[in-house]
Amino acid sequence: MSESAPERHRAIRYPKLEHFAEPNVITTTADLIFGWARSHSVFPFTYGLACCAIEMLSSGFARFDVARYGMEVFRPTPRQCDLMIVAGTVNEKMAPVLVRLYAQMAEPRWVISMGACANSGGPFYDGYNVVNGVDKLVPVDVYIPGCPPRPEALFQGLLELQGKIQQHKFVAAKPPAASAPAEEG
Amino acid sequence: MGLQIGSNPMSIDAVAERLAGAFAGELTDIRVQEPVTVVARCAREPLHDVAVRLKAEAEIGYETLNWVAGVDRVTAFESIYHLYSWKTNTYLELHVPVPKDEPEVDTVTDVWPGANWHERESWDMVGIVYRGHPDPRRILLKDDFIGHPLRKDYVDLPENHPHV
Repeated sequence: MSESAPERHRAIRYPKLEHFAEPNVITTTADLIFGWARSHSVFPFTYGLACCAIEMLSSGFARFDVARYGMEVFRPTPRQCDLMIVAGTVNEKMAPVLVRLYAQMAEPRWVISMGACANSGGPFYDGYNVVNGVDKLVPVDVYIPGCPPRPEALFQGLLELQGKIQQHKFVAAKPPAASAPAEEG
Repeated sequence: MGLQIGSNPMSIDAVAERLAGAFAGELTDIRVQEPVTVVARCAREPLHDVAVRLKAEAEIGYETLNWVAGVDRVTAFESIYHLYSWKTNTYLELHVPVPKDEPEVDTVTDVWPGANWHERESWDMVGIVYRGHPDPRRILLKDDFIGHPLRKDYVDLPENHPHV
């Protein structure tokens, strides 16, 4: 997939707010409220593919308890989710299914790549049927290293993602005009 | 000495002797692998007939097929059937050599329906053709995969890795 993560966030359209040419008190307040609400109500998609899924399930139960971050509602259907936690090895047969499920998720949507396999193929890098990283298929927002990562590592990834969600701007400040190249002298 | 469980009247040695008597000429190299397994070889031509009779055998009766394995022994392939007998609580490990120039063997799906997916996996990974199989597709790899990866001479192809 060619679109990168920042381009994807810019592609989300909010026609009313786009009437503003520059960020002002209305758009920044909307950024604040939407960012706060979205980042504390993430609906993860149950995409456990291998042993990382055990750590992801463990995160959901009382000992680690992902409910502290408002992310405890794991859904088994992509239509009710906005975060895909790819936990495990993606193989070539699963690849088209993963892309299709990602396309079925409602925007704005995010992807966490959990563990060495989803990051790069991991210990199965040379496998005959392994995709070397889920970022070959869909844009990834946060990579969590580990084999498998402990639930604490998953939580840090989720907190990083919260920060990223809150940085989303409806109307971004225009970049400063490029200054004329200095004349060679 | 074989292990006897419950009221099982037959020891593992008695099972091996009975198989040697009833399948003389078809099952060869019969040996006992403690505690509850008999290992035997069978040619591929009489395999289907042997399978029917093994299942219907009165005293032992291998009614359950646990799995089918495909193995590359470099000089030949081997299709291995793990059978289980509820009457005697013993296993039979049936090795069927399959030549590499004609890797075909009769299916046993009509004898034990559970062989269906196992034979598909053996075809998928090792490339043994199961003649008469009702659904001879790949099962674990994608349909357009090239080659059979558990063969010793398999070379990984870039065509099998479209996502790079």
